[in-house]
Amino acid sequence: MVTYVNLLIVGLSLGAIYALIALGYTMVYGIIELINFAHGDIFMVGTFITIALMSALGITANHPPTAITWLLVGKLALVCVGAFLLCAVLGIVIERIAYRPLRNAPRLAPLISAIGVSLVLQDSAKLWMGNAQISFPNIPTPVITLGVFEIDTVDIFVVLAALVLMICLQILITRTRMGRAMRAVAQDREAASLMGINVNGIIAFTFFIGAGLAGAAGFIYALKFPNTQFTLGFNLGLVAFTCAVLGGIGDVVGAMVGGFIVGVIQSFIAAIPASVLPHSGNAWQYAIIFALLILILVFRPSGLFGQQTPDKV
Amino acid sequence: MSIAVRSSWLRPERKTRKLLVRWLVALLVPVLVFNFAWTGEGIVNNVFLGLFAPKLTNYNYTLSNSIQGGLFILVFYAVITALAGYLTAADSGRRSNIEIWVGILFAVVVPLLLVIITGDLLIGFSLFAIVWGLYVVGRRYVLKVLHYTPPIALEHVETLDEEGQQRLLDRARSAGFWFATIFALITLVGDIIFFALGSLPTILLALVVARTIIFPLAGYFLGWLGGKMALRHALTTSTQAPINGAGAANARRWWVRGRKEQLEHLSSARAQEEAKDLVPNDTPLQSKGAWPFYLVLLGGFILFYPVLDAMLFGSGTNGRLSGYANLGYYIILALGLNVVVGFAGLLDLGYVAFFVIGTYSWAMIGSGQFTHLTQIVVNPQIWSWMFWPMLIIAALIAAAWGILLGAPTLRLRGDYLAIVTLGFGEIIPPFFLNLDKYTNGTNGIVGIYPPATPCIQGVFCVQWSSFNATPFYYLILALIVLCVFVNVRLRDSRLGRAWVAIREDEIAASSSGINLVNTKLFAFAAGAFFSGIAGVYHAAKLGTVAPSDFNPTDSFVYLSMVVIGGLGSIPGVIVGGVVVYALNEFILARLDTIAASPGNILYVIEHTIPNFTFGNVRNLLFGIILISIMLFRPEGLIPSARRRRELHHKKEDDIVELDALDEPVGAETLEAEMQVE
Repeated sequence: MVTYVNLLIVGLSLGAIYALIALGYTMVYGIIELINFAHGDIFMVGTFITIALMSALGITANHPPTAITWLLVGKLALVCVGAFLLCAVLGIVIERIAYRPLRNAPRLAPLISAIGVSLVLQDSAKLWMGNAQISFPNIPTPVITLGVFEIDTVDIFVVLAALVLMICLQILITRTRMGRAMRAVAQDREAASLMGINVNGIIAFTFFIGAGLAGAAGFIYALKFPNTQFTLGFNLGLVAFTCAVLGGIGDVVGAMVGGFIVGVIQSFIAAIPASVLPHSGNAWQYAIIFALLILILVFRPSGLFGQQTPDKV
Repeated sequence: MSIAVRSSWLRPERKTRKLLVRWLVALLVPVLVFNFAWTGEGIVNNVFLGLFAPKLTNYNYTLSNSIQGGLFILVFYAVITALAGYLTAADSGRRSNIEIWVGILFAVVVPLLLVIITGDLLIGFSLFAIVWGLYVVGRRYVLKVLHYTPPIALEHVETLDEEGQQRLLDRARSAGFWFATIFALITLVGDIIFFALGSLPTILLALVVARTIIFPLAGYFLGWLGGKMALRHALTTSTQAPINGAGAANARRWWVRGRKEQLEHLSSARAQEEAKDLVPNDTPLQSKGAWPFYLVLLGGFILFYPVLDAMLFGSGTNGRLSGYANLGYYIILALGLNVVVGFAGLLDLGYVAFFVIGTYSWAMIGSGQFTHLTQIVVNPQIWSWMFWPMLIIAALIAAAWGILLGAPTLRLRGDYLAIVTLGFGEIIPPFFLNLDKYTNGTNGIVGIYPPATPCIQGVFCVQWSSFNATPFYYLILALIVLCVFVNVRLRDSRLGRAWVAIREDEIAASSSGINLVNTKLFAFAAGAFFSGIAGVYHAAKLGTVAPSDFNPTDSFVYLSMVVIGGLGSIPGVIVGGVVVYALNEFILARLDTIAASPGNILYVIEHTIPNFTFGNVRNLLFGIILISIMLFRPEGLIPSARRRRELHHKKEDDIVELDALDEPVGAETLEAEMQVE
């Protein structure tokens, strides 16, 4: 029982990170109908930026902080904001260079361009910090004991932070003018521009928010997990895309829910012992999640919350 | 009159003289560079010595080597002479000499020099690609500055009557004769100098004398051949309908009209394309008629390359041949992916999965693993013969998997399809890693049997091993030819047209009666078929297979081959494969070895930027190349004709035919565009 609860908590925190990344995918797809292959790599760059900012502020893997102080919390908040902003700017730059000129090109062109951007980001990160795994500084977080259960506050913080960000995003989309403009552009780009909306600006803003959230996810990932590598974005990005599809691509709430569901599923799969699956569930987790993606796309392509929209000619 | 025409090949008229000068210079320069700056002369001499006085040769010559070398040299010089005839005959004389000469300089002489300097084919060609890019940009800029508009071919297409055709043939004959004569004279002078210096054995005198006599004679006939080739594309009176007597009735029946009038009724864009090939034309180098010559040359070079490599580049043949054999299976993979992505428009990002399946098919059956799995003991000598049926069987297995993996994607649109195939590319290799019982897991499978060929001792016995790459080279050549043939037939079949239809507009295609499910599944199956072939070859050549050889990122490499070359264009995909492979395997590694020696500028770069090695930035380069290609030249390096028209249609639409709208509707000459194919 204890292990199941632990797995659930681990799954939820993993799912929170996935949800944040999935939001970026879903928003970009909703607005320009492009699957941004580079999004997972933006997340990976976010983790690298986190390491760099932390070491700039004196927190490194070799000299981890010993206690949680308000100073530390302030520094971490600064790092979080910095990661958000820098990744957001990266997102805007990518959109401007690689996607905007191809907005009217045949379907294949922006996809291939996105693959190119993904490769560029991966290798740039490799040049920045090397091939090997890079450790995050270990932030000592207290562990709360509730009877038999031991919950690490990191997990709680991760889930809470993700929820807060997601709620902010939902408010942004549903209750502000910018959000309404984003929904308009997602629905019908030409009509939106006829209504006086600056379409290019809105798309840039969408990338800003999406990439920023990926950066924040990178910071949160740095708190929970031990290390990162330049290949991180590839796999995690694909899993996050699965979450977005599960929830219904283009739908923000769907991405959040999908993220948590997939996170929990993955954590349970990883715990399958070697007696059931050769090499234990650990080696098979990605395979099973992709199988899940394929099943969703075959049987319910619109996801949990999406609408079944017929193809109009 | 007729006597004057017949002897005009010896003393050409003025217009012909100008053309002769132009093309003789244009062709002689590269041939002389090849002959004297490189080892063209050396090859000829050594072939002769190899045939008649083997002890005097520089290289370790066998009879078969000499014969092959001799064949190549014969073909080479024959084609060039015939080409001289063709180019002189096909030239209308309206373009300037400088344009042609500068074009030849950059298109032929520069790559030749680069290959000579770098001593390596692929690196030389890659440098040439950069130089060519700069040349194209520079030329466009220069032409814009000079306000130069090239003459429009359509306006200058002439119909040749009997006299015109005779003149053309005379021109070609004189070109061939004079080219051969001048070349023979120059080499004669060169050889006399070498003899005087004492660096050539005297037996070669026989060759020199024979050559000086035979070559000009051969040149006359080869020039005539070139002229005949030029006539095939000409607008002659025989292709024109009788102009007199038929009157208005015939004018309405378009199939009686002459070709020229047919051209006038095509849209201006198509007409210009077709007119470029008609003799005399303004771009003889790029016309369709010159391509047979180039292809024969290229084919001869590729076919005899194992023999030529030692003559051209010296030692290290085996390593180079092995590299080219690897390039070969990359090309087959690119061809396969081209079927899925280029023809059918289904973006497949998990192609490496099929390649792994193909490789493991032969690895599991054609090695000790087979005995391990099925407890049947087989004789390796006999079991190696299974390679040949396994080529087809593994391809079919891969095709079956193609159908399996393609089935879930049928209802998905382009973006989802890409992600799902990417997922498959991620899932399948771990299967082979984790199912230890069958695939031997991380250790991989070793001792895979190479192919078996009949071995008659002393007459014909092929050694298949990693020390002798020549048989693998020829095998992959044969496989590539087969795959290209299959691809061309697929593309031009009903199925191929169905693929193009679903690529452009699925809903319209299915409304026209195309069965979307079958067509798409067939596309996946056909694409996977080729990867099966490549996989079997790869396993047999490498001898060992391990799951760590295969990365999901390899799919992106294959995709970039197709994209860079030109989606859906078969020669484009081959060139794209060569470019990407050269980048991947040769150039970056070479740059790394160059950068290892201090004092080099590359060394400085490598040590100022942390973590920088040229091998490390391979993906960076690929990514930048992919993005640039999508932004600036989405149709790729050698686009298929359809694609080029699609993507650059806008420019040609701007040319409005004057008077086009002056004709009243219903007039006789106003008809819809018709096919002139």
